Order: sequence, then structure tokens, then C-alpha cells
Amino acid sequence: MSPHERRNFFRGLGFTSLWIIGLGTFTAYPVVASLYYSFCDYSILKAPVWSGLENYQQLVSDDLFWKSLGNTLFYAALSVPIGTVIALALALLLNQPVRGRSVFRVIFYLPSIVPVIAATMLWTWMLNGQYGLVNAMLSPLLKPFGLTPPVWVYDPTWTKPALVLMSLWGTGNAMVIYLAGLQNVPKELYEAAEIDGASAWQRLRHVTLPMLAPVIYFNVTMATIGALQAFAQAWMMSAATGSEGADGSPARSTLFYTVYLFSTAFYNLKMGYASAMAYVLFIIIATLTYIGTRLSRDRVEGAQ
Amino acid sequence: MAEASSDPALRRATKRAVIYLLIVGAALLFAMPFVWLVASSLKPIEQAMSLPPSFVPRAHYASIDGVRLEITRDYLVSGPGFVADVVAGEQLGRRVFVNAEEAAKRGTELRIVHATQPGWWHVSERMEATDKRVPRWDIVEAGVIETKIRPRWENYPAALNRLGGTDRVSFWRFLGNTLLVCVLGVVGTVFSNAIVAYGFARLKWKGRDAFFALTLATMMVPFPVLMVPLYGVFRSLGLIGSLVPLWLPAFFGSAFNIFLMRQFFRSIPEELSEAARIDGCSEWRIFWRIILPLSKPVLITAGVFHFLYAWNDFLGPLLYLTRTEDYTLAIALQSFQSQAGGVQWHYLMAASTVIILPVIVLFFFAQKTFVQGIATTGSKG
Amino acid sequence: MSRLFVLAAALLLAGLPRAFAVAPKGDGRVHVAYWEKWVGFQAQAMQEVVDRFNRSQDRIFVEYFATSEVVRKTLVATAGGDPPDIAGLWTQNIAAYADAGALTPLDDFIRADGFTPEQWLERYYPAFARICTHAGKVYAGTSTPGVFAIHWNKTLFREAGLDPERPPRTLAELDEYQRKLTRRDPQTGEILQVGFLPEEPGWWTSIFYPWFGGSLFDGREITLGTDPRNLAAMKWVAKISQDIGIERLRRFKAGFGQQASSESAFFAGKVAIVIQGVYYNNYRRQYKPGMDLGIGPWPEIVPGIKDFAMVESDMLVIPRGAKHAKEAWEFIRYVNTSNPRAQRREELEGAELLCYLQEKNSPLRQWSPFFEQHHPHPYIAMFRELSSSPHAVSVPTMGMWQEYDRELVALFEKVRLLVATPEEAIDYAHRRMSGSWVRYRRSLERHGQMPATSATTPKPPAALSR
Repeated sequence: MSPHERRNFFRGLGFTSLWIIGLGTFTAYPVVASLYYSFCDYSILKAPVWSGLENYQQLVSDDLFWKSLGNTLFYAALSVPIGTVIALALALLLNQPVRGRSVFRVIFYLPSIVPVIAATMLWTWMLNGQYGLVNAMLSPLLKPFGLTPPVWVYDPTWTKPALVLMSLWGTGNAMVIYLAGLQNVPKELYEAAEIDGASAWQRLRHVTLPMLAPVIYFNVTMATIGALQAFAQAWMMSAATGSEGADGSPARSTLFYTVYLFSTAFYNLKMGYASAMAYVLFIIIATLTYIGTRLSRDRVEGAQ
Repeated sequence: MAEASSDPALRRATKRAVIYLLIVGAALLFAMPFVWLVASSLKPIEQAMSLPPSFVPRAHYASIDGVRLEITRDYLVSGPGFVADVVAGEQLGRRVFVNAEEAAKRGTELRIVHATQPGWWHVSERMEATDKRVPRWDIVEAGVIETKIRPRWENYPAALNRLGGTDRVSFWRFLGNTLLVCVLGVVGTVFSNAIVAYGFARLKWKGRDAFFALTLATMMVPFPVLMVPLYGVFRSLGLIGSLVPLWLPAFFGSAFNIFLMRQFFRSIPEELSEAARIDGCSEWRIFWRIILPLSKPVLITAGVFHFLYAWNDFLGPLLYLTRTEDYTLAIALQSFQSQAGGVQWHYLMAASTVIILPVIVLFFFAQKTFVQGIATTGSKG
Repeated sequence: MSRLFVLAAALLLAGLPRAFAVAPKGDGRVHVAYWEKWVGFQAQAMQEVVDRFNRSQDRIFVEYFATSEVVRKTLVATAGGDPPDIAGLWTQNIAAYADAGALTPLDDFIRADGFTPEQWLERYYPAFARICTHAGKVYAGTSTPGVFAIHWNKTLFREAGLDPERPPRTLAELDEYQRKLTRRDPQTGEILQVGFLPEEPGWWTSIFYPWFGGSLFDGREITLGTDPRNLAAMKWVAKISQDIGIERLRRFKAGFGQQASSESAFFAGKVAIVIQGVYYNNYRRQYKPGMDLGIGPWPEIVPGIKDFAMVESDMLVIPRGAKHAKEAWEFIRYVNTSNPRAQRREELEGAELLCYLQEKNSPLRQWSPFFEQHHPHPYIAMFRELSSSPHAVSVPTMGMWQEYDRELVALFEKVRLLVATPEEAIDYAHRRMSGSWVRYRRSLERHGQMPATSATTPKPPAALSR
């Protein structure tokens, strides 16, 4: 390195020094330590003892691991697509020349910044099987068909749909992103399509969606990663409905991956096992991110 | 259909009507939970838990022993009987409800106050927050109960006193803790990331791009991977059970904010820096005097979003905090909910309202920042 | 931007002074931090005991901190190296925390006081002595006990034409009472009231096994699936849900209020019989003062055992790494001692003072004249009898119990919600827990700890096993 280059190098290091410390202490070291722990029998009160692949072997045969993974995937598979469709639909509506658009935008957006802890509290109450507002509204609608609404958070088959419903309420964030994306779509494209006699549906199908594709892929990927790490809502809903000491109540239907991981690490003190779980999640997320970016890139290139 | 298509004006009007219908309908659905939240927070518990649900909080009044009191309607009595005071024996001083048979059996032990009919209400003196006192009660005809509309604002102080699952630590303490974590975190986020991002955006140095790629790669690491070792890190620093782990990392940058600010810094014309360099300004001065003042929007975006993140964070406090007096609002609310294995919905809704309110206020202060910030962060910058 | 910062700064300034207000401690005494779960009147009672202890000497000052989720918090703080000096846990945590290395054994303190651990433990009824120990060591003292019995609503008994003074005495009678006490809406068929619900209050889902004569752990192996009486217990639980109808039961249950309120299922007259502890009279006094409450022994299920009882307790422990362990022990010793000659309220000390104020029975064998004769709980003699019963059980003192218990909660939920048959659910939990138990022991060996079932334990834990 020339003296000039060296000076620049140290200047660069100087500006990024905080991040070098932060990256090392709060990310790199934990990532490495976690990998090591995942091969150990470790509780924080006792020294780690190497146990080889035991944690990973046990994971494969641990029903709760599969159950919690299944619960989480189920939640993600419902909340992400439905949330995306709703966010897109709202954005398309708001992209029309409607009066009071900014008011509507605020109404749709606000729920998404409500602290998840308060949102869960509110929805657990909204979805109360007996006194909740949701069932009070559903009952008269379902009555003609001889149906009664579910008891939601007390019924294992309905707890995840309840959490999905709650997540849909917070979909305003994505809506704002799509709205911004829509406003970037060149007007000329629509005009050209209209001249070609394209219907509204065809314009959506052949102009809007392809133009939005990169944004959609990016957001779907982020939303999926977020859904896979969902913790507070499941943790709280379980605490609100469960028997003392139950994880993922009722009947482990809200035992999400991170909930199981947290209680494995900090209730059962099996921190090595929890680290192995964390690494499996890491791999899943890395794979999804890779697929997401690949799809997004291909799509963008295809569109051009 | 044929008519509609033959008349473009009508068709447009129909289309607009459908759009407005959809938008207003959706807005109602999105706003309803907020209304229900506030309505529930202003009711007494037995009205929050009543069928059919009502949005209007009410208060009931009746006379017990000649004193007009606010009462709760506990339940309808299903059989005839007597309200009686016990004037002798083991239960001396108590008031009991007995049927004719038992009244006859206990004889002079009881002093009959009055007889009751099926369908009367068992009512008790309303007492929130009772620890020791015993409420007065009676069984009265439905007709003598007087009902008024009254929002119960006192739910708010009562709920806030119970936050954290204890009345020992005041709400102000939780608020102070939360603000401490939020404000220090925001300060740390804004400054550390700006400095680091400057190093990535405006300086050329060997290894910069590789390091930046590494930085971006860390965004993929899910928090659970870091959780156990991070706990160990803060443990060896002796910081478990303090608020420090919740704000300290903000002072050392975060990949996402570095990325965000770098994008912004790169959009500032290079000529500005060059001119300053020719004038003999140091890089730090350029950063501080030229770049930062031009970067307010991105700084505010990062700051506001960190504030939201810290305000909402639940897992961090759950992991690091041990003493109730160190709690942040989010975890104080959750402890309140999980305490004693049950749910006092009216208080929970009041406390939730209080926790949501600052976020909404923040939103109205910085609405533009929010909308722009999300749009840029969400679309890959 | 400036507006935002002004706002933030103003909020910060408003909040900070209070956040940093810390009481000064310049009195020359050792300050002992005591974390406990109680709030309300139970906390006041403990505070009175703490005050009494603090006045009784001038070296130690115990500070009471009401702490929600104290169990997990204690563990996190201990692992983090900053534990309290005393923590108030539950019976079911002791063995697990001991195995995890989170507790200080009390044996040395006991010996320093001139007792052998066996002599020290003689002060308790055997059921309580058992839960203070694990793997041959004493790890905890009691604070106030929970002894359980059936509680019934006499008014509902009368309405159903039952003798309000006569509780069900056998399982067959309990089933019969269940039928008579269950009421439905004549039009909709919805449930209005039931006799007995195993999940109400749902705090001790493991109790049905020993009540049916089953055992969960024989000191060496998990016996959940090998003891047919466990299956009988869960079949009975499932049958109750089936008889009522699961959909209707769920809707009915969604309307239950909080336990500590007049809206709880029992106080609101929705459930006529519950299993509750000695503390429940306090709930009644506070939330449903007019209620006509009957309390009696457990219905006989295993022929010949008429004095079955479940015993647990709030426990006092010294976490590992506590800064003032010796001083903490002095307080624990005080709370586990009483004045056997107390004739007046003012002469009550330690255990009896606490149990008198919290209106519970004393876990100690010896009761003072005042405590025995002037106890405010009308049924206290019965609770004393149940504590001394040879058939009093508690949770197994096994280190894996917390995990096992969580599994049993999940099993119980599956069974009562009818999402699995009792056979399937038990079989599943048994296999899962047996595997966990093998791994648990392997982990203990790996860390050089004695396996929990080693021969150093004089007697295998008799809890939940007979």
C-alpha cells in the first residue's frame, strides 16, 4: 500500500471502528459461539461439554421441534400471502383518485405501528370466544347457516388463524410500500394499455404487477423472515389462555419455533440444544433469502 | 350491464361508488379495534364481560342499608329467600342469604332484613382495587337499580398502578425506563450509523467493499442465533438485570441503518466534499459540517424507527431484565397480564391504550418521515 | 427534527428523576434482597413477618420485593450472576433448580446451627420435609403451604336438591353429583353450570394420576405410561368433556373470569365443585364474601384411601452466588420456626405468624395453643389432618419435573379437548419423557453431577409414587 492508500485505509477503519467493535461483539462472536454451543451440552450455569452431533440428532426426532416448525410455517404460509394480497388491494384502492386519501392511509397504516404486545392484548380480547367483539359481529352472520363462530384463542385449531387475523390488521406497513411503488409506475404504460383496449384486470395483470414485482418479492421475503421469527404474539397469547406453565397453549397450537427455542434455553436451560435450533432457523432463513433474491432478480431481468 | 356499458358516466359513477364502499368498509374494519380498545378501557369489568357487547360504559346505583351506592349487578337470584344478618354464633356480623327452611332452622341466630323474590338481583357495593375491605351487598328488585352512562376514567390510574404485576413500582418508573432505552438508543443509532455509513459511502479504502458485503450479510442472521451468546456477553460484563443491554448495542451500528444511510450519503454530490477537501477540511469536518446537515431526513427516519423498535421491543427486556423496577412498558404490561393467571380486560385495555398513545402521537409528529422512510426502506432503497 | 428532539428530551426529563430514585442504605446493616411472587394481602402478611425479623436483631435488614414471574426471573438473574439473596419459588422448581446448579444447599448452614439435616427436617410434617430436599440435600425452607381439598358451593348443592353439608365421598358419587349439578339452557342446550371440571382452575394437572392411585416416577424411571391407573385418570378426564360436549364446553369456558375475582367460574356459580388449597378461603372472603362454601376431604378413588391429599408449598431458597447467603439463611430459619408456647397474637413468631396472617395451616408439626385455637380459617383442623396424612403426595422431587410437568399440561389439554385419546396422549408423553429422562441423566453425568436417583438419596422420592 502506498502511504496515501494506507492513510485512507486507516481513515476508513477509523470511521467504521464503532461498527467493527459492534459487529465483532454483538454479531460475529455470538454467531461463532452459538455454532460451538450447538455441538455442546450447555447450560449457562455449567460449563459447555462437547457432545458432537447429539443436539442435531435429537432435533430430528424431537416432535416438538417439528410441531413448532409446523406451527410457524403454517402461520407464515397464511399470514404472508393473505397479508400481501390485502396490502396490495388496499394500495390499489388508495391509488385511485379518492377524496380523503391521506386520512384513509393513516387509518390503514396506524395498526402496523401498534406495539405487538398491545396489539396481541387487544386481539385476544377482540377474539374472546364469549364476550369478544369479533364473535358478536360474526354470530348474526353465521346464524342463518346454523353455524356458531369459533372460540378462537381457546380452540387449538383456531389459535393460529387468530394470530393471522391479528397480523392482517398490521398490514398497513406493506400497503404504504406498495402505494409508493404504484406511484412510480409510469403513467404512459397505462395509457398505452388503455389504447390497446386492455381491461382493468388485464392492466393489473400485465402492467401493474410486473412493475411491482421486485418490490413484492422483496417484501414477501422480508415478511416471511419476520413471520418465521414471530415471538411476542404467540408467547403472549399462550400466557393469556394457557394453564400455568404451558408453552404454546392451548395444546401447543401456538408453540412457535422461537417460543420453543426461548423456553428451551431459558426455562429448561438447554442452551446447547437451543443453539442447534437457532442454527436450523438460520439455515432456513438463509435459504429463503437466497431464493427470494434469485426470484426477484430473475423476475426483474425477465421483465426488462 | 348493457345499460351501464352504454353510459360511460353511469359506469364511472358505479365504479367510484364501489371503490368508496370498499375503502370505507376496510377503514371501518381497521379502525374498529381502536374503538373497542378505548370503549373497553372505560368500562367496569363486568360490563366489559357482558353479552351482547356494548360500546357504552354504564354505572348502576342502588340503596344498600339505606345508603345510595354504586353497585355491581352480580347475578339473578333463582329462588325465594331472605337476606339476613347473623346476630349470634360463629358467623356473627355476617350477612347471609338463606331459604325459608334454613331461616327457620337457624332461628334467633338470624335477624331477617327482608324477603326476596326470584328474579331479583344480587348487588354488591362497587369496589375496584379491594385488598381487604368487604363490600356491602343486598338482593334487590331490578326496578330499583338506576343506570347512567359513565365512562370510567379511573380505570386508567388503576391500571397503570398495576402495571408490572405489582403496585410497588410506579408507572412513571416504567415510562422512565422505556424512555431511557428509547432515547439513548435513538442517539446511539443516529450517530454511530452516520459515522460508519460515512466511512462506507464517502471514503475509498482497501477492503471497503468486501467489508460492506459482510455487513449486508449479517442482516440475514436471525436474532435467536445471537440470543444465548449475547446473554453470555452481557453476563460477563455484569449487565444482566440492567437496562444497558437494551441500548448499548445501538451505539455500535446496525447493518440495516448503515445500509440505509450509505445509500443516502452516496446521493449527495461528490463535488461538495471535493471543494471542502481543497479548502483543507478534515474528513471528520466534512462529515460533521457538510454531510450530516444535508442528511436530516435519513437521520430522522433511522431515529424514529429505532424509537419504535425500542418502544415495542419485548424479547430483549424478557431476556435481560430481572427486577420489576427495571421493566420497560412492554414487559410491564405483559407481567400485568400474566400475573395471577387471569385477565382483567378493562385494565389491560386501559394500559394498552396508554402504551399505544405515544406511538400514535409520534406518528402524527413525523408522518411524512414515516411514509417516506417506509417507502424507501421497503423498496430496497 | 428539532421538534422531535425537544419532545423526546422533555419526556426524558419528566421520566428520569423518578427512574433513578434509589433509597439510601447507610444503616450499617446487611441488606438482604428477597424476591417473592406475592402482592396484596399475602405480601402484607410477609412484610409483617419481615418487619418482625428485622426488629428482632440489628445486623440484618431483609427487603421484600414483589416480583412477577419470580421463578424465571430468579433463574435468569442467577445465570446472569446477579441473583437475589432469597427467592420465593414453588415446590416444583426445587429439584430442577438444584440440578441446574442454581441453588445453594442449606446443609452447611443447618450444621453450623448445630443440627443434622435430618434433625432439622423433623420439624415438618413428612410431606413438607420431602419437598425441601433433593438428591440427599436440603435446598429450601417452606414459607406458606398449600394443602388441597375439595371446595363446593352449598347454594348450588341446595338448588340441585343435594345435601349442602355432604360432599361426594367416592368417585361414583362425584360422577352422580356431576350429573345433578350440570344445567343447560332449555332452549339452546348451552351449558349454564357444571358440577366439576378437571381444568378448573387448571393449576395442577398432574394431581389426577396419584388421586387415581397412579404414579408418575418411581425414583428411577418415568412410569406415566406403564401404570394403568394413570390411564384411568385421563379416561375419566376425557369422559367429562365428552359428556358435556366439547364445543359447548369451550364456549362455556371462554366466559370464565380471572381466578382472583368474583367472575371466576366457581365464584360466579358456573362450577359447583373445585379442588383448591387452604388459601381459597381468602379468595372467598375477598371476592365472594356472601358465598356459602363447603370444604372437605378428597373423594375416595383408590379403595381404602380416604385421606388422600395433595401438598405443596411456597418455598424459600438461596440462589447460587447470592451475596449474603448466611444472612439469608437466618431469615429462612426464622420463617421455618415458630413459638410453640404462643398464647396471644403478639407472641406468634415466624412460620405461625406468617400462616396466621395468610390464614393457612402451619407446615410444622408443633402448633402453639393460640395458633390452633384462634386460627381464622374455619376448616383449619381438617387441613392439618390432611398435611399429616400418610397419603399426602406432592410433585416428584426430580430435576426434570418442570419439563415433565409442562408435558403433562400439554397431555392434559389434549385429553380434555379431545384432540387425542387418553391412550395416545399418555403413550406419546411417556415415550417423549422417557427419552428426555435418559438425556437428562446423561447430561448430569457429563457434568460430573450425581444422577438424581443415585444411592446417596436415602429414600427414593416418595412423591406421587406409592
